[in-house]
Amino acid sequence: MPMLETRGLTKRYPGVTALDSLDLSLEPGIIGLVGANGAGKSTLIKILLGLLEPTEGTGTLLGFDIAAQGPEVRQYVGYMPEHDCLPPDMSATDFVGHMARISGLPRTAARERTAETLRHVGLFEERYREIKGYSTGMKQRVKLAQALVHDPRLMLLDEPTNGLDPAGRDEMLDLVRRTGSEFGIAILMSSHLLGEIERVCDHLVVIEGGRLVRSGPIGEFTARTGTLLVEIDGDHAPLLARLKAAGLRVAEEGRALLIAFDDDRVYDLVRDGVAELDLGLVRIEQRRQQLEDIFREPAGV
Amino acid sequence: MSERQSASGNIYDLGYRRYEGVRLGRRHAVVTLYLHSLRAAFGLGRPATAKIVPFGLAILALIPATIQLGIAAVASDIVELYSHSGYYSYVQWIIALFVAAVAPELVGRDQRSRTLTLYFSRSLLRVDYAIAKVAALTTALFVLTLLPQFVLFLGRAFAQDDLVGYARDNWRDLPPIIASGVLLCFFMASIAIAIASQTKRRAFATGGVLAYFAISLAMAGILLATLGGDTGGWALLLSGFHIAQGFTLWIFNIEPSSSETSSTYDLYQAGLSLWVYCVAALVYLAVCLGIIYRRYQGISA
Repeated sequence: MPMLETRGLTKRYPGVTALDSLDLSLEPGIIGLVGANGAGKSTLIKILLGLLEPTEGTGTLLGFDIAAQGPEVRQYVGYMPEHDCLPPDMSATDFVGHMARISGLPRTAARERTAETLRHVGLFEERYREIKGYSTGMKQRVKLAQALVHDPRLMLLDEPTNGLDPAGRDEMLDLVRRTGSEFGIAILMSSHLLGEIERVCDHLVVIEGGRLVRSGPIGEFTARTGTLLVEIDGDHAPLLARLKAAGLRVAEEGRALLIAFDDDRVYDLVRDGVAELDLGLVRIEQRRQQLEDIFREPAGV
Repeated sequence: MSERQSASGNIYDLGYRRYEGVRLGRRHAVVTLYLHSLRAAFGLGRPATAKIVPFGLAILALIPATIQLGIAAVASDIVELYSHSGYYSYVQWIIALFVAAVAPELVGRDQRSRTLTLYFSRSLLRVDYAIAKVAALTTALFVLTLLPQFVLFLGRAFAQDDLVGYARDNWRDLPPIIASGVLLCFFMASIAIAIASQTKRRAFATGGVLAYFAISLAMAGILLATLGGDTGGWALLLSGFHIAQGFTLWIFNIEPSSSETSSTYDLYQAGLSLWVYCVAALVYLAVCLGIIYRRYQGISA
């Protein structure tokens, strides 16, 4: 049974189609949902939670129908919205404890799990202070804590690094990764930065203009779309011819060669070619895939 | 290095424990939100400044009853200053100020800080949220209505020097006291939340609630004076205070006084049957609850 499934999910606003007949089927894991701003990431998450009604289509979360079984499924789901959602004049402890009880935990269990969860996200003494005095990073931690406090089966995180400085971003990504991999909680995390998703997720879903561009394990992604940059001392034409003859897709870019990177045999071919042609290898590196590249060439290089 | 890690790990990270206990679901969520809102109505769990207005008004509403109690202590003869049926007329503005101050706290804060999104992504339905909030404000108002009535009952009983005898002779007062009190609280709470839930701005919400009671009271008075009894009497049905007075008298089965100095003189002049005010109250309730329902079905979260 897939953790998340949608069939023809569509959301139309007057003049705008936010989601366009989206079919998804995802197994539990840490899933990255990537797309530019306005691609429909938040809309998808809100529909899955029942915060928005789809214009057409159906979906299931954890095997529950999102339209008919909303209250049941939401007991097992945690949600961290993109925007601010914390009452300024409550302490983190009081608020997270309150949300734990709202999520169905009895009082004692709520208190215990609140303490544990706030410790996990790295809030210690400051958890007794009012939230309005918190930094953005601390607020993001409280938002994560309230999504985790009731031990959900699945967490939906909408742009969890929003508004954080680079250090805070790293810490948040680390928290998300640990929550997913060490706690075994399935995570769907949206971001417009592919780099973030690469660091944390094991599965990638790319949407653009409300349509599914691609969905697959992250390894498959980089394998299919990765590019190896090779720069040699002197004329690279012989190497180019040799690699092409070996069946690789190679392009020239200035003094360098760009080679479509399918699997590790590419390294071997380059090594053998350079050695046998007796060339000086200046640089060999795997190009970091940019989000825009995926959108430009969805089928790979 | 691994030793250090495990050492600090022992201190801070007790490992993640899954929650295997019960999940109490939707009804528990509603009750939790209700109790949380009831506490919030009096500023409990909030900074001290949040307690000043609700507690101050609750004390003001108790003063007439306390005076009666004090008179009972010094004068053994019955000196009847305040009757059960007329009590609400003395404190109607205090009740209005209370709902104007508290309703925006209960429904505006969650819109302002966008915590509404978190509630709606739990087991709660939107209508559950509205029910919990109206119920919480209604219950909070008991402190301003039923509590003083109880003190008043005690005061009158002490004045007789025979508590048991007074209770035996007058227990029939209790059903109308409770019935009119509950209806009044529900009526005032529904009007206030119907108005306050329309905006996240506290000042607008408070102003709106007070404006309704003040303007409708003034208009009813002016129309009654200018149009005279037969036509102008219907104008009293615009005014929340007059409706409350009307159904309270109906419940106590007391006719309005023909004395010009009496607080019920408006009702006497209008000459409407008192059951008309009851029907009006029910219509107001239906309309207000409908407005609240629509507001929360439509509000974006």
